[in-house]
Amino acid sequence: MAKWELTSRLGKFLDRHLVLTLLEFLSSNQIYDEKELLLGKLEMLKNTNMIDFAIDVYKKLYPDQTLPAEFFENRQRVVAELKELETQTQPVLAILVQDDVSQQIATTRDSRQLFDYLKVNHGLTSEMVDSLYKSAKFQYECGNYSGAAQYLSSHRLLVSPNDKNYLSNLWGKLASEILMQQWENALEDFNRLRDYIDNYPYFTPLQLLQQRTWLIHWSLFIYFNHTQGKDMLIDMFLERKAPFQKQQQPYLNAVQTICPHIIRYLTTAVITHRRRREYMKELVKVIQQESYTYRDPITEFVECLCVNFDFDGAQKKLRECVDVFNNDFFLIALQDEFIENARLFVFEIFCQIHECISINMLADKLNMTPEEAERWIVNLIRQARLDAKIDSKLGHVVMGTQAVSPYQQLIEKTKAMAIRCHVLTMNIEKRLQTPERAQWGVTEI
Amino acid sequence: MSSRFFKPQFDSESESDESETDIQPQRPAPAVTTAYAFSDEEEETKRVVRTEKEKRYEELGAYIKQLKNHMKIKDISKMLTGFENLTKGFLKAKPVIEKEENGITPRFYIRCLVELEDFIADVWEDREGRKNMSKNNSKSLATLRQKLRKYNKDFESEILMYRENPDEAKDEEEEDDESVESDDGSENRFLTKAAKVKDDLKLDDDKDFDLGKDDVSKSKFLKSAASDDEKESDESDWGSSDEESSSSEDYENQEGAAFRFLKKETGETKESKKRERKMKERKEGGKRKVEDDEEGEWERVTRGGIIGEKPKMFTKDEEITHVSVVKKLGEILAMRGKKRIHRSDQIEMLTELLEISEAHKLGPAMRIKIIFGIIAALLDYNTNMSSCMKPEMWEKCLEFCNRLVETLIAHPEIAIGENIAEESESFNNPTFRVHGCALTLIERMDEEFTKILQATDAHSPDYIERLKDEKKVCYIIERLQCYLETDQRGTSSELCRIYILHIDHLYYKFDTQVFEQKKRKNLKNAADTNGFQKIEIVIADKDENVEDNEEFKETSLDLMNKMCKYIYAKDNTDRIRTQAILCHIYHHALHDNWFEARDLMLMSHLQHNIHKSDIPLQIIYNRALVQLGLCAFRHGNIKDAHSDLLDIQILGRAKELLAQGLLPKQQERTPEQEKLEKRRLLPFHKHINLELLECVYLVSAMLLEIPDVAANEYSVRKKMISRSFYNQLRKNEEQPLVGLPESMREHVVAASKAMRVGNWKACRDFIINDKMNSKVWNLFHQPDKVREMLVQKIREESLRAYLFTYSHIYDSISLLILAEMFDLEKATVHSIISKMIINEELMASLDEPTQTLIMHRTEPSRIQGLSLQLADKVNTLVEHNEKTWELKQNTFGSQSNRMFGGNRDQQGYQRQDRGYMDRNRDQRRTSQYRTNQ
Repeated sequence: MAKWELTSRLGKFLDRHLVLTLLEFLSSNQIYDEKELLLGKLEMLKNTNMIDFAIDVYKKLYPDQTLPAEFFENRQRVVAELKELETQTQPVLAILVQDDVSQQIATTRDSRQLFDYLKVNHGLTSEMVDSLYKSAKFQYECGNYSGAAQYLSSHRLLVSPNDKNYLSNLWGKLASEILMQQWENALEDFNRLRDYIDNYPYFTPLQLLQQRTWLIHWSLFIYFNHTQGKDMLIDMFLERKAPFQKQQQPYLNAVQTICPHIIRYLTTAVITHRRRREYMKELVKVIQQESYTYRDPITEFVECLCVNFDFDGAQKKLRECVDVFNNDFFLIALQDEFIENARLFVFEIFCQIHECISINMLADKLNMTPEEAERWIVNLIRQARLDAKIDSKLGHVVMGTQAVSPYQQLIEKTKAMAIRCHVLTMNIEKRLQTPERAQWGVTEI
Repeated sequence: MSSRFFKPQFDSESESDESETDIQPQRPAPAVTTAYAFSDEEEETKRVVRTEKEKRYEELGAYIKQLKNHMKIKDISKMLTGFENLTKGFLKAKPVIEKEENGITPRFYIRCLVELEDFIADVWEDREGRKNMSKNNSKSLATLRQKLRKYNKDFESEILMYRENPDEAKDEEEEDDESVESDDGSENRFLTKAAKVKDDLKLDDDKDFDLGKDDVSKSKFLKSAASDDEKESDESDWGSSDEESSSSEDYENQEGAAFRFLKKETGETKESKKRERKMKERKEGGKRKVEDDEEGEWERVTRGGIIGEKPKMFTKDEEITHVSVVKKLGEILAMRGKKRIHRSDQIEMLTELLEISEAHKLGPAMRIKIIFGIIAALLDYNTNMSSCMKPEMWEKCLEFCNRLVETLIAHPEIAIGENIAEESESFNNPTFRVHGCALTLIERMDEEFTKILQATDAHSPDYIERLKDEKKVCYIIERLQCYLETDQRGTSSELCRIYILHIDHLYYKFDTQVFEQKKRKNLKNAADTNGFQKIEIVIADKDENVEDNEEFKETSLDLMNKMCKYIYAKDNTDRIRTQAILCHIYHHALHDNWFEARDLMLMSHLQHNIHKSDIPLQIIYNRALVQLGLCAFRHGNIKDAHSDLLDIQILGRAKELLAQGLLPKQQERTPEQEKLEKRRLLPFHKHINLELLECVYLVSAMLLEIPDVAANEYSVRKKMISRSFYNQLRKNEEQPLVGLPESMREHVVAASKAMRVGNWKACRDFIINDKMNSKVWNLFHQPDKVREMLVQKIREESLRAYLFTYSHIYDSISLLILAEMFDLEKATVHSIISKMIINEELMASLDEPTQTLIMHRTEPSRIQGLSLQLADKVNTLVEHNEKTWELKQNTFGSQSNRMFGGNRDQQGYQRQDRGYMDRNRDQRRTSQYRTNQ
């Protein structure tokens, strides 16, 4: 079932180290040839400094061959470089741990100010700051993410947002946090990065689009691991910002132009969301619009249900969805939740348009046995989420009629009117009495 | 005589002088004046380019003329000032004379001095007369005499020379005197002549001037070649006579027979005889030229350059080298825009030069250089922007363009470019360098081609004849593109330009291969996914060769993709990019690539700012939009089709908006505006069928509107989806008697009526029948597919209309029966009804076990409906009250109110301003666009 597998698509927009985690997942899933995966992994590791990891992979791949010499050379090179960088960064770190400095850090908000202070008092140079960044990068390459994160947070204190390394710093920090699975920190970094990207004035539109695309992909790690991730995911794509904003829904735009496969995650998030109905309409629009560039069982499910009202088709797609979920790094944990919600969603729509449904048919549509279905419906009715009755003799569910009579409509329409008029007259009366007082007020001043 | 106002300054002066001399010439017939007006204007335009020398000489000429006039009336004080002016003018002209004539004082100047001297001497001798003179005059006389004597000392030798040989100047004097019409007749020998010319003068100053000259030239031509030459040079000395001759030539060429006819009536038969003779002489000249050609000695009998030596071809013994040819070329090119040079002569000479250079094997670089000159001359042939080239000219132009490109491709070692300075050109080294830009010339040629097509009647065989050249033009462009692409010869901006030129010839053309390729791809995909590899292999075996060949064959779509992408990436002028995007959209839409076209349209954000761009671009935008609409229709996206076509169709100005014709009587247009609009018109072969457009629009409107009408029968708030569709409906209803539908519109209206009651079969028959097929549907690429789609849509929408209209009659309907009634699948019916229920359009619900639709008694009765409306209205009343209150309450109420008003004003302005854009495609519209998906 490699058809709906997205790793190759996602990988284009992820960092090497992040892709590694995806590959790990894939090898545990065994939908691809293990050997090919390992080869891919090895290729990937060649450009990092994680020599030991590479050696492991190599050994797995060719258990009976001796290690090529280049591994050892590389390791030596890496170690040497690491040492050199450490000596370079040592002075900076030494400065930063001093008491007065940490005090200063706590008090000053502006990085410029801090840098100036350190320059004057401790002889800090911009080269030193840059070396700090370099060694952070090196640590990251070696797979020492916590070290990298530490260095990077120190580095960020010292550079202004206009520094050439500032953006890279943010990205690096985010990657490190994600790889350490510190979701709270990662979220913080993510928001910082997002603000920066959205407000940085010097990106060309193309660069902006690229940055956003990357951000979207990286954010998947956070969104599907953080407890409130799904809300945020939906917010990011579907919430309309204030109308004066120049570009509405820039992230959705990025998805539509570059990476329509993200729609899968969006769809999942919306369906499992408790307030899904608000977002459904918008989502359907997006899905339909992009249907020619991207479709998978999840989007097709929504399409069947909300566009064609083809319940049989939806049922079929829902079954296919299970496979998709099993093979998706981000979604695998959500499978049950999704299936349950999808079922409920189908049922909701079903109830909306039907008056009388046979339980057998419903069970079929919901992918349940009739007994299960009956129990399920009974539960729904008991929880007062459904205005319906079960006709057990015929095996039907009969919906409560929700039609509104014209009289009712008329009453509804005119009900508020009296109150509104009343309020209006009250206001006017008040106004009629107040003018004199207001005038007094003015004259007093 | 309004034409007088256009006359150059000194002409009118001379005229006023003329009237001073009491000869009031009879005014010629008005027809003649207009003819003159034309030539005068010509003069005016040509005057713009003028050498310093010409200007100075003209000035001097004017002074001399004035002086002579004063001489005749013996106004000596004025003569004095005139003389002073003259000397000043001469001083000014001195540097030029130094440069151009090697410091030899022009003969006419000397002559003037001599005459003046004689005159002064005469007057001085005449003691009687001197006594009678006014005090002022006698004083001036003395001063003038002194001054002149002093001044003439500088020119002693020249004056002496002139006096030795005064005969030569006789003709000129004659000429001059004629022009000023001396009654005085200070020299007896002219008296007869003057008398004869007098009649001529009655016609007009200009004319008789050139007539006089005709006389002269007649006599001149009979003289030897040597004197011919001299005459030429003398003539050129005479700024004013130059002009006259060229203007006379002009009208001869342009006005032709008609003018001559008029002339005959007014003038004497003598004149026409003269003219005939002159013509003959010209022919003789031509013959002589031919002979010369044969001898290899080129001597042109053109009217000569102003430089004094006429640009003639090489003499026999002259060595023909690169340098000399370049020099000659420069001379010929310098003739451009000068008055007496006819452009066709210039072209001929250039062609000759080309032949010479070929004959002497001066190499390809030289050839290119000369061809550049020829093409430029050909393109310059017409001074009038709006008129087009003559067919012969065009063919020549095409041929030379072709030759240019051929040479360029054959000799890749030649570097051409605008940045290569003329000085650094090299024609004989192996690294040839030539100044000039082939691209610009080709661009202009292309423009000219469009102009020719515009000027040709689209329904005549001529048009087809011309259109055949399209292929050649494309070929030239393609090859030039190839040339520029290889070895990175062209800069990116040049490449963008040639690409857009190519795109412009490509985007509207339909390429069936695109569809074939698509089909193949689909087949392959299907085979792939189904795993029927056997079948694939069989297919592959069967037409392996064909497939392979065709797969690698570039379709126009691929070509467009390639070029447009290059432009998107490299272009830095926004205009070319926009044009490329629009053409790309058009091409995609033409080939049914709906999604690509749509996305490109949405991504480009052109809807927002297209109305800021220039009109030709807006026209392309409109075309792209229309094509997009048609494409959407073919794909069954009725809503999109409607919204795309709405902008173009709503005002019924599609023809104008697409630049496919002018509307007969719109708001007042000045002739210039009209000319401009005419120039914008697209050639016929690029047109989009307007009837098809309208039909597609109306049918889409019908499919959207009719169910809507049915649903909102009682509602007051019903929004009109398409106004022009309503107009059609209303027109139909206004008719006292509705017959069988004839036109396309009537068909659609009849179909709408059928759909309104859910009679889908009738509706289908009205929309799809032989008449409509031949008129509209067969114009699509795959008409059967479109018809199929259309029938399906008609069924669906009829079902909706039916349910809306008759649901209150039913208590329940079986889905099966509905499906049968509308010949639809049950699933489709189910889906349609479900959608209606979800959207709360239909108050009903489905009964699953029995497969029926159960109506809820919600369709209000008449009285209920009305009371609901009443409630609505009262509600709005309350709302208004509240709003008013809020406004009053608000301290800034008045301010915001004003702002609101201001906005509205602005909107109104925009609407007026829109012109070709018609409807404001604002944010709201785009969002609508997106929601419609």
